[in-house]
Amino acid sequence: MDGGTPLELTVPASEKAHTVSASVLEGTTVRAHPILRPVEAGFAAFLDGTQESRVVAYDRGVPLVIGTVAAIVRERRNRRLVTWAHERERSLYLPRNHVTPALWDESGPLALVDTCGADYGGPVGSGHPAALADRAYSVVRRRRDALETTLAERWCAEGAGPLFVDGSIAGSPRVGTATSVAGIVKSHRVLYVEEDAMQVVFGLRRGERSSMLRITPKWATVATWYLRIRDSAGHDPLWGLVRVEIAASHASTEKADEISSWILAEAAPLSLPDARWDTMVYGIRDCEETLRAV
Amino acid sequence: MSLGRVVATERRPNTPHEFHFWTALDSPVGIGTIVRVDGNTPVEGVLPHIYGIVVEGFSYTDLQTPLHDVLGHDGNPSSPGFAPTERAEIRLYTAAVLRQIPEEPLQPVPMGQVFLATNEDVAVALRMDGYLRPENNTGIPIGIYRAGGTDSPIYLDADFLVGPEAAHLNIAGVSGLATKTSAVEWILASLFTHFPAQKGSIAAVLFNVKGPDLCFLDQPGAITDRDREIYEQLGVDPAPFKKVEYFAPYTAKGHGLNTLRSNEALAHNLQPLTWGLREVLQFAEVLLNRDDVDAKADALIDFIKERVIDRDFSDPVLSRPHRVQSFGDLEQWFRDVLNGVESRSSGDTWRTHHVATIRKVRNRLSNISTRCAGLVTDEGVVSDLPFGSFEDRTVYVVDVASSEEDAQDLIFARIVSKLREHLERRDLGVKHLVVFVDELNKYAASDAPDTYVRRMLLDIAERGRYLGLVLFSAQQFRSQVHRRVVGNSGTSLFGRMDADELATPGYAVLSPATRTKLATLDKGQLMVRHPHFTQPIFIRFPRPAVMNGRDGAERFPQAADLSLEESVLRSLRRLDPTLTLAWVEDIVSQYDEAEVLRARSATMLARPGDVRGYFKAQFRSRVPQRTAAPRPAPVPLKPAPDDDPYGF
Repeated sequence: MDGGTPLELTVPASEKAHTVSASVLEGTTVRAHPILRPVEAGFAAFLDGTQESRVVAYDRGVPLVIGTVAAIVRERRNRRLVTWAHERERSLYLPRNHVTPALWDESGPLALVDTCGADYGGPVGSGHPAALADRAYSVVRRRRDALETTLAERWCAEGAGPLFVDGSIAGSPRVGTATSVAGIVKSHRVLYVEEDAMQVVFGLRRGERSSMLRITPKWATVATWYLRIRDSAGHDPLWGLVRVEIAASHASTEKADEISSWILAEAAPLSLPDARWDTMVYGIRDCEETLRAV
Repeated sequence: MSLGRVVATERRPNTPHEFHFWTALDSPVGIGTIVRVDGNTPVEGVLPHIYGIVVEGFSYTDLQTPLHDVLGHDGNPSSPGFAPTERAEIRLYTAAVLRQIPEEPLQPVPMGQVFLATNEDVAVALRMDGYLRPENNTGIPIGIYRAGGTDSPIYLDADFLVGPEAAHLNIAGVSGLATKTSAVEWILASLFTHFPAQKGSIAAVLFNVKGPDLCFLDQPGAITDRDREIYEQLGVDPAPFKKVEYFAPYTAKGHGLNTLRSNEALAHNLQPLTWGLREVLQFAEVLLNRDDVDAKADALIDFIKERVIDRDFSDPVLSRPHRVQSFGDLEQWFRDVLNGVESRSSGDTWRTHHVATIRKVRNRLSNISTRCAGLVTDEGVVSDLPFGSFEDRTVYVVDVASSEEDAQDLIFARIVSKLREHLERRDLGVKHLVVFVDELNKYAASDAPDTYVRRMLLDIAERGRYLGLVLFSAQQFRSQVHRRVVGNSGTSLFGRMDADELATPGYAVLSPATRTKLATLDKGQLMVRHPHFTQPIFIRFPRPAVMNGRDGAERFPQAADLSLEESVLRSLRRLDPTLTLAWVEDIVSQYDEAEVLRARSATMLARPGDVRGYFKAQFRSRVPQRTAAPRPAPVPLKPAPDDDPYGF
């Protein structure tokens, strides 16, 4: 049995939408900064990861989840993207203390991941299958983040030029402090602005960014700002809005403008037909398509 | 290094005859490129190798709809379109399978890497390895297959070009690109060079049907260094044909030969083509309108052919015995018969033939020498191709370009029939003969009434290969040529084709991309179909090393109209260069033009050692003119005596 609906489609978002206040790094209040410098390509590579997890069977009510995570760095050479590094893992995700030893020992060729391991939050309180599935999903996601971090760190060590990372870079102290990496966050379940600052962000026009903020969402403290890469007229206020993260130690107005201009350059070609095309740059779509293919 | 990978999907699977592969964007693959697939999984212990030719190509990006590109440019096509990243793009090709090794079991093409075919691969893919074996090489180089740095000679199999396995060659293409004629000239040069010794001798008869196309085959033409390289690669000497003989009828006036190759500098191998009654009557039906000449007329013509021509013929109604050997004799015979019949009081038939039929046949046959003036002589003088003594590797060009249509038909019919007769008897002089006929649209049209010439072409196409009689034919529109003629051509060549022609059903077997390529072929490029090639192949051939018609016509302008004396002198000088115009003028001044032309023809035909004497002897001797002696004055009568009683 290797079917069923992917957990990515059934597990509800773990993070509730909320706001977090952040200190302003540029001036005293959040305001809009038009990007006046020429829009030009600056990123040398793009990093993204994917995951897929499915319940393939139940053992006495315990969901057996096969999860596949992958990450890829696609380097731009002569305006074409080629694979610089690619990692893929396929594992069986089991809560070891809920399954029989025999099952754990005879699980076949797949690598086993104990979803109740200490690294992943310890035992799941209830034996509810959905709770176990949620945990499995959460662990798969963390494995994916780890894989992405591995590639990002490798790029920091070996790669040449700035790396465009899909998502936050604060998950890794090494990546979060690297000068050659920018994380671009497309979803905004957490907004790091409140009240007036929020209105400034919502009012950003295409080619404008917000003032830089300092945040510590995970392990590393990073500088961040919001950037409108597409005109949101007629759409919701978060349409075409991305949040950019760079190492806090690297933050400066010039750097923020430069990286913003690089991101604006990536607005073409469009990532359609992906539903997230308003915030997804083509390099990231290419990563996803490549991962889907391989 | 591989240049592509085989791909197959459920929607577009590979089959035993077709497969798909993708390549890098900068790969040298194009329509017509030959590739090799190396399978990864052994079949019965053998790793499969598949050879294919690219017949279709696709290119697309990950753009799902054109609208997305519109959105990407905000609806403004002139907006800055630079994107730092090019969209993912594919070059996807479809290839038709040429050959699979091993050939059994025949399976769908497996996944594998795709390589550009090497020279050896090309030979295997086209099954040329079967007839290029050193111990039995029957390969006739036809051109170069060129792709991605591969320059592979392509060979036809002589057994399938000249027989006996298959035979004949047909070439189609639009006019004006100098492809059809050039290709035939080049292939003949190659055939003469590489025709296997064990297959015997070969010669060619070319009918020049338009302009000066084939008039300078013995003169060197300009070729490029690249052409020279191809000649060297294919082992053919870049030189004009060494042995060429030209034949042309006289003009209607009869002074000179009716050809654009009439320049005196080229007269050494130009001979007249003239026939008399005997030669023509056998092919009378070529010239006679079938609606006009019915069974009764046919019966009389047969009677004349069998009982009158070349026989001593007597009949009570005739005033004298006749021996009919020329159209002139035939006219006298008809006149005598009609006089005899009409002077009788016993009915209006003669030997079951009604007088009206006799008149009709007389009218039609007598008319032939007028309609084919220059070719057919009233006097019966014959100058013909050297049937029985054809020479190996010799080209015989019959220039009918300036002849009337009737004369052209007669020439085709008689020459080809004679060739066939001699080949059947194995006494032509050569074992194989190539006959080249251009403008097949005209002579073997599919929708035209049945004619003798068409029947004859069909006969060659269907049965010629058993005799060694091979038809090389050309036309602009293959679809308009009788199917049995083109269908029996083992080898077909295609130059640049007209789009309308390509839209006809005969080309439906070609992929749209192949048809597009055919419509845009450059000079010197051909698509080749040959029995050994399971798919058409694109090749490049060198410019023929002979002077083309246009250059020849400029360098050797046509001779001006000659006087009777000049034309006689030009003809006879080929036999005796010491002759002078004054001598000719002295001889011919006393005779009428017909007599002079007859004497010239007879001399040319006899090729005597003593040209002067022979030519002079052809004229009837005439009594020299003398002034009459004055008549003696009459003797006056003696006056009558005065006393004469009878005087007045």
